[in-house]
Amino acid sequence: MSGRFRSFSFVDRITRREGGSVEGQYAVPLGVHFPASLMAEAVGQLAAWSSMAQLDFAVRPVAGLADAVHYHQLPYPGCTLQLQADIERCDAEAVAYSGKAFVDGRLALELVDSVGPMLPMAEFDEPEAVRADFHTLLGGGAAPGRFGGVPLPELHDLQVQPGERLAAVLQVPELSAAPFFEDHFPRRPVFPGTLLMEALSMLSLQLVQQSPPLAAAGPLVTQKVSQVKIRSFTAPGARLELEVVLQDIDPQRARLKVAARSEHKTVATARIELTPRSNP
Amino acid sequence: MPEQAISQADIDVVYPKVAQIVADALGCELEDVKPKASLIQDLDAESIDFLDLVFRLEKGFGVKIPRGKIVEDARGPLPEAEFETKGIVTEAGMARLREFLGEVPVDRFKTPMKAGDVPRLFTTETFCKVVIRAQRAAQA
Repeated sequence: MSGRFRSFSFVDRITRREGGSVEGQYAVPLGVHFPASLMAEAVGQLAAWSSMAQLDFAVRPVAGLADAVHYHQLPYPGCTLQLQADIERCDAEAVAYSGKAFVDGRLALELVDSVGPMLPMAEFDEPEAVRADFHTLLGGGAAPGRFGGVPLPELHDLQVQPGERLAAVLQVPELSAAPFFEDHFPRRPVFPGTLLMEALSMLSLQLVQQSPPLAAAGPLVTQKVSQVKIRSFTAPGARLELEVVLQDIDPQRARLKVAARSEHKTVATARIELTPRSNP
Repeated sequence: MPEQAISQADIDVVYPKVAQIVADALGCELEDVKPKASLIQDLDAESIDFLDLVFRLEKGFGVKIPRGKIVEDARGPLPEAEFETKGIVTEAGMARLREFLGEVPVDRFKTPMKAGDVPRLFTTETFCKVVIRAQRAAQA
């Protein structure tokens, strides 16, 4: 079975679409690891559906920028994400939006001032098939439980300097090893920016867990990812050099500057803030 | 209507804030941002950075910068067919660019120039002028 509209699709249904405002929902499957960063992906996909429809499926947003992603609570297996996006601007060049995800009526994630550059739809997917999927989402909705999980990031060659920096190589899965490439995107597989940010968050966590005074603080969580910029596409099988650098750290939080590079060219940059789980 | 000239004094008013926004958008140090620095050649900007920069300038200055406006303004009154032929900027187009992008050092106007390479000319001062024009358009 093809992974298209299944393996990396995080909107099950669009429940309201009025002006620049759109709402939808997504049921997080049971028995599958669902990284928190996929809540941001779900909000981004909701905005993408609405913007693609507005431009008659001629273009689609791919990757881009986000001023800030604030994490308030984690999703759990079986929960339903209620999604909202407010589209501030949408044209053939870019879509600009902010959005939120709620779990059990409580704010779980805020995405602030995100921008997705628009690219020709036909490069990435079959426009008529995307249009049909959109009508499915507007109508009865897509079948829940389509997501089968994503492989854990394959990180190696770790070089850690506690209290300072951590570098590692991320081996992006080959096309055949990661079903999400069939959905992201059917005609041109691209490693999702949210999964790259997830890998950078994991490295940040590893560094901070070895850096006083938070080394002894117990479980840590990502509180905020800001100034996110995905500068270029990453193809299946690529090797990315990741680096997370500690900017400042105190008992309440750690701030890091993170980057992914490919052959010395910067692929993505962001800033990440971690905090003890009891100090959201 | 002919464009009202933009003086160095006009540029000096907006420059500090534009330079800070350029540094933020490109993730570089403020001291690396110079008035005549080419954002692409000197500061390694890519197309996504221009998109980011324009959104940040809009928010920072409370103005609207229509999409594609910078290149459209650079072309000025010339129809696209007179500005470029088969993707190469014509002589008339080059003359228009030298006039419109007066802040760009003359040795950067190399021929033949691909139309797609026009943004390589853009400097920090180019974006100061973009902001000033947007401010004037908002007041008109």
